Amino acid sequence: MSATRRLAYTLGAIWVVLLVIGSVLIAVLPMPPGTSSNVAGSITDTTRLLAWAAWPVFTLTILATIGAVMLHSRAPDAPPASARELRGNARMASAWIGVTAAVVLALAIIGTITLNNDSVAETLGLGGRATGSGVTGGHAEEGPPLEVQVIAQQWQFTYRYPSLGGIESPHLVLPVNTSVTFHITSLDVVHSFWLISLGVKADAVPLHDNVFYATTQLTGTYRVECGELCGLWHGSMSDNSAQVLSASDFTAWGQQQTALDAPIMKFLPPYSHTYEPAPGAYGS
Amino acid sequence: MNRRGALTVLAFLAAGVLAGVFAVNYLHSSPAPTGSPTSAEASPVVDINLTTVAAIGTLRPADDHPNWVGYFPTTYFKVPPNATVHMTIDQQDGASGLRNEYLGLVRGTVDNSMTVYTSDPSSAGATGKTMQAIDPTTAAHTFSVPELGVSVPLPGVDPNNPKNTDNFVVFSFKVPASGIFHWQCFVPCGAGTLYGNGGPMQTLGYMDGQIEVGS
Repeated sequence: MSATRRLAYTLGAIWVVLLVIGSVLIAVLPMPPGTSSNVAGSITDTTRLLAWAAWPVFTLTILATIGAVMLHSRAPDAPPASARELRGNARMASAWIGVTAAVVLALAIIGTITLNNDSVAETLGLGGRATGSGVTGGHAEEGPPLEVQVIAQQWQFTYRYPSLGGIESPHLVLPVNTSVTFHITSLDVVHSFWLISLGVKADAVPLHDNVFYATTQLTGTYRVECGELCGLWHGSMSDNSAQVLSASDFTAWGQQQTALDAPIMKFLPPYSHTYEPAPGAYGS
Repeated sequence: MNRRGALTVLAFLAAGVLAGVFAVNYLHSSPAPTGSPTSAEASPVVDINLTTVAAIGTLRPADDHPNWVGYFPTTYFKVPPNATVHMTIDQQDGASGLRNEYLGLVRGTVDNSMTVYTSDPSSAGATGKTMQAIDPTTAAHTFSVPELGVSVPLPGVDPNNPKNTDNFVVFSFKVPASGIFHWQCFVPCGAGTLYGNGGPMQTLGYMDGQIEVGS
């Protein structure tokens, strides 16, 4: 057996082993953002699918590169390679292009279906994320959703709860196993509300109501960040205190926050999906 | 066989794995919340006195931007761990109003309140008014430390009352054992800039600063 063939068999065996190990790891390792919401679960599934599709191609590319380096490396003072050595392998190139094109095309079809049609996506076992009708992401679940307004300003998010009398809070608090409709807006420049582990990310635009649906699935403490460069303290526009609570804890929190907000309630404007600040608030 | 080439490829692979682990760890992490400590442990008390003026040049003539609104004398503080910071702000600027009315609420201070005096609180007979919120349209500035949950609206001086030249706002808040926390004004008070949010609102040393907690 020639050295070339022996190396090809060795690398092929390594590739099969890597394929098996990688596929198992992709199946069992926790992928971000997790399963804290239905949207996060959908993103995690998509990440897993992409990883499964990419892993064979990635490992084969790396092993082929290593094999090529090991077989064809040349000393600096070696004579130039002959034409025979430089000739390509048309059959191998065609197979490579065909297989990778098929993988990319399949992912493109799945992605397009997922983006455009919730029901078809769900039939395929994928969470849909329709982008029509002014909706940025997620899809509405059955049952009455909890409406939460995200108000961005330089440099803090605050949250308003119309179903709790219009109270406002500097921290996001949600009940678990609840469909939440986020209405996201800004009072100054463009920000981006990013509730990382729940897979919620949507731009906050002045005088614009951006809607995002998500259903909470796990209690816990989560981080909110701004995902859009928005000025001096953009890097500090984060909050490590967002919480998903049990239903009873959420009710208790609502009562506590209502008491804390009591002194300011008479000054808050009526709940609205956007707010146009008074001219005097713009400075001069 | 080119061992160096193979090792280079493997090094890139290892770097990629490390970057992936970092990204996954970052996206999965749910850090412990930060906030004002509430324990009753003994804590040093630090007095900080600030002045807000409509044009910093009146107090700092050599300033690069004498016409900018600003806090005086500095916006950088270093305080001991677990300290109680006792603030007195001599607020000399007029009202321009809050963009988010909710920030008219006093939050994160001891008792969630502030005391407002119309004369120097250290002078004899000075009496203040304890407040938990103000009319957001009367706010001139705020002293806000979002990461600590502290937000204090500073009422503007009344232009129709010649005796009311200053509002002295007094409050206290607690800091944790360590960290660097940004503080800022939430009133868009950068006069002459787009929507009032430019200039001094975007420049350290005027309406933005830092509190460093350390020994």
